Amino acid sequence: MQPANEKTFAMTINGRRLTANDGESVLTVAKRAGIDIPTLCHHPAIEDFGSCRLCLVEVTKPEWKGWQGLMTACLYPAAKDLIVETQSERVRHVRRNVLDLLLARCPESQVIQQLASDYGVTRSSFTPRADADLCILCGLCVRVCESAVTAAIATLNRGRRREVGPPFGDVPPDCVGCTACAHVCPTGHIIFTEDKGVRTIWNKKFELLRCQKCHEPLLTVEQRDHLLKTRDLDVSYYELCPGCKRQRTAETFADVVLKTHPHFVPKQMGGSSGIPTVPFVQHKEVRP
Amino acid sequence: MKRLIVRPTECTHCRNCELACAFYHSGVPTPVGPHVIEVRRVRTVPVPLTCLQCDDAACVHACPVDAIRRNEKTWALEVTDRCIGCHACEQACPFGAMYFREETHRALKCDLCQGRPTCAAFCPTDALRWAES
Amino acid sequence: MEALRYQDVKALATHAAQLAASPEATQRRLLVCCGTGCLAGGAAAVAEALEQQLAKLDKKQRVQLNLVCKKTGCHGFCEKGPLVVLMPEAIFYKGVKPKDCEAIVHQTVIGGEVIDKLLYVDPATDKAVVKYGDIEFYKQQQRVVMRNIGLIDPAKIDDYILRGGYRSLAKALSSMTPDHVLSEVEKAKLRGRGGAGFDAGRKWRSCKKAAGDVRYIICNGDEGDPGAFMDRSVMEGDPHGVIEGMIIGAYALECHHGYIYVRQEYPLAVKHLQQAIDDARGRGLLGHDILGSGFDFDIEIARGGGAFVCGESSALMRSVEGKVGEPRAKYVHATDKGLWDKPTVLNNVETWVNVVRIIEHGADWFTTMGTAGSKGTKAFALVGKVKNTGLVEVEMGTTLRQIIFGPGGGMLSSGERGGFKAVQTGGPSGGCLPDSLLDLPVDFDTLTKAGSMMGSGGMIVMDHSTCMVDVARYFLSFLTDESCGKCVPCREGLWQMYQIVSRICEGNGDLKDLDQIEDLSQAIINGSLCALGKSGPFPVQSTIRYFRHEYEAHIKEQRCPAGVCKALITYSIDKEICNGCGACLSACATSAILGERKKGDTFEINEVKCDRCGACAAVCKFDAVKVA
Repeated sequence: MQPANEKTFAMTINGRRLTANDGESVLTVAKRAGIDIPTLCHHPAIEDFGSCRLCLVEVTKPEWKGWQGLMTACLYPAAKDLIVETQSERVRHVRRNVLDLLLARCPESQVIQQLASDYGVTRSSFTPRADADLCILCGLCVRVCESAVTAAIATLNRGRRREVGPPFGDVPPDCVGCTACAHVCPTGHIIFTEDKGVRTIWNKKFELLRCQKCHEPLLTVEQRDHLLKTRDLDVSYYELCPGCKRQRTAETFADVVLKTHPHFVPKQMGGSSGIPTVPFVQHKEVRP
Repeated sequence: MKRLIVRPTECTHCRNCELACAFYHSGVPTPVGPHVIEVRRVRTVPVPLTCLQCDDAACVHACPVDAIRRNEKTWALEVTDRCIGCHACEQACPFGAMYFREETHRALKCDLCQGRPTCAAFCPTDALRWAES
Repeated sequence: MEALRYQDVKALATHAAQLAASPEATQRRLLVCCGTGCLAGGAAAVAEALEQQLAKLDKKQRVQLNLVCKKTGCHGFCEKGPLVVLMPEAIFYKGVKPKDCEAIVHQTVIGGEVIDKLLYVDPATDKAVVKYGDIEFYKQQQRVVMRNIGLIDPAKIDDYILRGGYRSLAKALSSMTPDHVLSEVEKAKLRGRGGAGFDAGRKWRSCKKAAGDVRYIICNGDEGDPGAFMDRSVMEGDPHGVIEGMIIGAYALECHHGYIYVRQEYPLAVKHLQQAIDDARGRGLLGHDILGSGFDFDIEIARGGGAFVCGESSALMRSVEGKVGEPRAKYVHATDKGLWDKPTVLNNVETWVNVVRIIEHGADWFTTMGTAGSKGTKAFALVGKVKNTGLVEVEMGTTLRQIIFGPGGGMLSSGERGGFKAVQTGGPSGGCLPDSLLDLPVDFDTLTKAGSMMGSGGMIVMDHSTCMVDVARYFLSFLTDESCGKCVPCREGLWQMYQIVSRICEGNGDLKDLDQIEDLSQAIINGSLCALGKSGPFPVQSTIRYFRHEYEAHIKEQRCPAGVCKALITYSIDKEICNGCGACLSACATSAILGERKKGDTFEINEVKCDRCGACAAVCKFDAVKVA
């Protein structure tokens, strides 16, 4: 094990001594060690929020004289000599109730159904929500847009009436249609459709840029403009589709080959060349 | 440092590499997975196309969350679980080497199979070779 | 106003002495309570009427009288407002109307005679009480924090200075080091008055130890508990007390910026606080180089937006920062990373005023009051089914019985359902305690052990016309409305509990529901992110603990013993008592009362049409309408 200093130190999770680094969360340390802690509102690229409460774990330190606290692993900092338990009775009890409550909120969500059944809940013991959708209010969509795109959506209202969406329920003016929100959503609540070169998300219609060669839809005009503003690649990077770019690359290399090999004749399979005719041949040893 | 060396002059366009790559990514005996290598013929020359693991990569420049990281051992650029699915890297790569998988909600690219590139292992002519550069 | 700026501590002391020697100091004063409660009762018109009456007198008489009329903050005896007190005679008038003002000026002020009908009558003795200090409501209190409220015009800084204001600040700045001030607060064992009761000195010490040069202090004036209005009265009636406390605290913490967060619904408090801040700045008591000490500190008012959750320390800080008021993980202490991630001390209004008293009289004096674990006094907003509702400040350790039956004057009604049933403390985070616990001393730890909590000071007295299941339902509906919604256990869990308890109120409960409530309560307490969620189940838990029989009556018998839950009660008219006056007939909005206004006839209620609004019972002067 690495020597302990301020930057790296030892701590315990479920009885296993593990090395942790300063600034890491308990969740990061656990994941690295292959210890499974369920999460719903966590994403590695997004600042943790601690709203789903599924990742609650028991934490204690020797100087706490036996007192244990329930903390969210995603936010609680790894610390020297920290002792963590991820499956205590208390923890399982809270997780079971949280999943039972979420199942009442989103009875149709397969993700919730699966997680709930892991904790013994096949049918919710609570009143199901009327007109339930799949949103569990984890806030990932809002947070990813806020931190990595344009903050086009936010949480609206409070408590039971809380929801995620664009300001005033209108078409979001700042949305660039990148679909990151749809991809980080754990339950598939956010959907987008594409039809005839038009992408629709949050009730906003986006004209998709077309590949200048083959007219294959690329990304939205708005996202392209946003990338031009925020990243350091010029517009020429966003003019062709990946397929046509591969074609262009192939042409570039082919030109080089033909220039350097004026009498080039491509290698052929079978015959006297000794190359087998049947594809998918015996695997060769490849050392890393 | 070993690199994936591509020699179009040795390529027979057999497309073993595509099949092998798909097999690796799907993990099942029939290759249903996506492949991140493709062979295209231009005039008489077959060219195997895959990620060039650029030293100064456009995909890294395009990513808003620093999800594409260099593996120091293999030198491959890898898409980590930080990927938020915004497609910026897919559109930015000048070589068309970045792909996107709706099922995983994440971008997909060649990561040199953690240092044992499957395409090279299955190439019958060594047009793809994993060797010291 | 004047450009009177105190260059140093001596200048303040000189001016204070001047004020004490001035004619103003010995002026007779007509104090009109203009706290929000009395204003709602028409106090503004009373104050105006008094001024008009005084203006009508001729100049010579006015000078002879040497009287000034002052609009003060809340006297605390809110039940009896509008209140007028004549000092120094201390004649106390209740329920004053503008038309009484002529008599007050001529009979009492000039003539020296007391107006009987305006006097408070002690219900215990049935005798009128003339003097302020003789009224049991006030006599049994120990007004330390509320010392000035009701006696000064909160808009006049000189009134405050005349009563010793800013003397503590002067003492701290001139004869104590910052650490000395901090130690004094530590020695006093002052526990926060906002609800959690955390040791203030310890909080201050952590903040002082935290790294960094920039620190903040905040005064939490959000006061969201329903039925609590102690902080409002302090902010409205003695704003300088809050400010002085904060300046002293800032000095101890070596911090230069402070905020007073006032809830949206307290415009008068904001007005008075802002005036006080401006006046203090003008006098050199706030801002740059305070009293020539070289210490800089200034205060800004931040307003809430109408959310109970913003009374929670971390949510409040987000709100001040302009963000959505959502709490964040609590193991990150605000004293390390609070407002704008800087070390911050947040304390309640009452706590800050206590700081002034502690520095003035010393920690040793402070610790002579209260119990071993809870020093000092506490202001309570005593409301509900008591005779004297209002603000009561007593020493910690006073029992619930002493408060309710002492200054509280005992139960309001002596009728069938009038006897004491329960007292609720701590607002939505607290619990209900039954009569068997009336002799519990009021202090932080005792109340918590009993299943309630001190909270910020709300004390709601309930008699047998209150349904405890309905009380639990009420608090759950409040909390589900006010929950920020960030975490699942609070947002979804409290809502589901509300559904269950509502069903019980409607007569559709099951005994299994009580087990489900217990199980869910534990998950919410353990799993919630902040104290709103964590303490949300307490009202339900405490009512099940002490009033389980009432829940069982609702469930097993579909009966509401208190006669409250609409689905389970019926209204009927007792024919023996009904004299056919027809008042109920006029009051009923659903035409559910049968009968005609004929002499000798009685009325009957059609149970199907009756919507249980209770209007008939309210108007019946003969108590003929019964609820069962």
